[in-house]
Amino acid sequence: MTRTYTPWILLTVALALAAVYLFPLYWMYVTSLKTGSEMFANPPTFWPNNANFGIYPEVWARRAMPTYLWNSVLIAGGVTAITVVLGTGCAYVLARYRNHWIDVGLFFVLMLQVLPASVMITPLFVGFNQVGLLNYPRTAVVLAAAAKAMPFFVVLVRATFMSVPRELEEAALVDGNSRVGAFFFIVLPLARNGILVCAILTFMSAFGEYIYSKSIIQSPSLQPASVGLSGFLGPNSTDWSSIMAYSAIYVTPILVAFVILQRRIVSGLTSGALK
Amino acid sequence: MSRFFSGLRDGVGFDILLVGAALLFLLALAGAPLVYNVLMSFQQVDMFTLGALFRPFVGVDNYVAVVQQPEFWLVTRNTLVFVFGSMAGQFVLGFALALFFAQNFPGASTIRGLFLVSWVMPGLVVGGIWSFILAGDYGVLNVILKALGIIDANVFWKSDPNFSIWAVIIANIWLGLAFNMLLLSVGLAAISRDLYEAAELDGANAFQRFWTITMPMMRPTIGAVLSLGLIGTLQQFDLFPALTEGGPANTSNVAGYWSWQLSFQLYDFAKGATVSVMMFLLVLVASVVYVRSTRHEVRG
Repeated sequence: MTRTYTPWILLTVALALAAVYLFPLYWMYVTSLKTGSEMFANPPTFWPNNANFGIYPEVWARRAMPTYLWNSVLIAGGVTAITVVLGTGCAYVLARYRNHWIDVGLFFVLMLQVLPASVMITPLFVGFNQVGLLNYPRTAVVLAAAAKAMPFFVVLVRATFMSVPRELEEAALVDGNSRVGAFFFIVLPLARNGILVCAILTFMSAFGEYIYSKSIIQSPSLQPASVGLSGFLGPNSTDWSSIMAYSAIYVTPILVAFVILQRRIVSGLTSGALK
Repeated sequence: MSRFFSGLRDGVGFDILLVGAALLFLLALAGAPLVYNVLMSFQQVDMFTLGALFRPFVGVDNYVAVVQQPEFWLVTRNTLVFVFGSMAGQFVLGFALALFFAQNFPGASTIRGLFLVSWVMPGLVVGGIWSFILAGDYGVLNVILKALGIIDANVFWKSDPNFSIWAVIIANIWLGLAFNMLLLSVGLAAISRDLYEAAELDGANAFQRFWTITMPMMRPTIGAVLSLGLIGTLQQFDLFPALTEGGPANTSNVAGYWSWQLSFQLYDFAKGATVSVMMFLLVLVASVVYVRSTRHEVRG
């Protein structure tokens, strides 16, 4: 008798845990709608008394969000393009062979995956300064962030290529395809979904990139949304409804994309990061 | 010449082209800066010599100067507290959740997947939200803790020197928890059900089954998850500017953020490079553990 109820009790507990875990997100949306005095009320209200939706267009205009978001899209798009174009081929070769050289290459990629951005930014900034790249700050950020994103992409996409049967490629070669033909018409289409998921993940993380942009881009008209947010966020911030409205506008597209693609993203991650 | 081109189209040349392009890019933008960083840590780098090709060498002066900074040991201690506090929290909570979601009930994998939203959020936004939750006067965490009777007076998470590093740790645990849970779930799913059934028939209770089956079978996964957690924590940067900016009085400053402050707020690039070389040595230890623990899986 009790056995049949167990799954439903577990489901209730799971929903409760998810609610606790996702509370910060809920709090972001709720706070963005609160007006001045309610924001600092003690005890706080868990549902806004009179929701002020006008904050969204106001913050959008006052904080010049279209410019910032457009720069974020440009930077994330550039990073994703470089990462996918260069990383896919690299992952394919690292998946196709097994020998000493491949091990060396893999080791190199794995080592680069662990480098913190805060270690890399000082030499990158000085180096970019010397070669004159600081005059093209967005390009400089794209290059730096692509180098940061690529190792992770290669490790994940390599796992995708491993799951493409070798026999299919060999059959294409026997049928008279060149290596180039077999790669572009047989292997790539079969690995398309995995590559797409990893590209989306790369885009998402580059969309939130902060440290390189903050250090390299000085002009506000070229900065991405993360740097725009940091302009009025710090230990002593008080303008919380604007901060939360800005954050909500910034992350909602990412969250929507994530929820839609959740199943694919999770399976892409689990097959690559650890298997 | 034609052999060269046909090789590009149809032989090893094609592979070398594919892998070479990516590796050259990585070498130029990750490998070279790393070497350059070590070089700078032995040079005098200031606003006057910033653009110069050759700078005066100063030996280990930068290292001596960094160690003699009054905040050096505080930052070292904070870095260790931050790394191990975050790792322990992420791992223990992540493991507990992974065990829970390994139970068989409707919607388990979908709800588990929702947890991962924390992982795709920009770190700066996460820091901003937690900054509001952790606020001393009007933060919701203090209200909840007081209602539960855990604390009597407001805790000023961000401005109390005893708690400031924990404010960042709490936010970082939230950020990394879901990824830990996901990887541990994969490991749990790979353990054969038969083992548990056999143990149950032999009369092993739930605790014994966990200790004698789950833990030994999970060992490689746990190794990889812990080293990934260490790497992820050392890479964390965005939470610091959003929450505390390393303050008050460096009580929540860690090596990564300190290095950035030295370079980009004090324009002391030599010291910034020196601190990041020191931090790189720490990362190196983590990465050796990581590469060793994933070697078998990655070679597949």
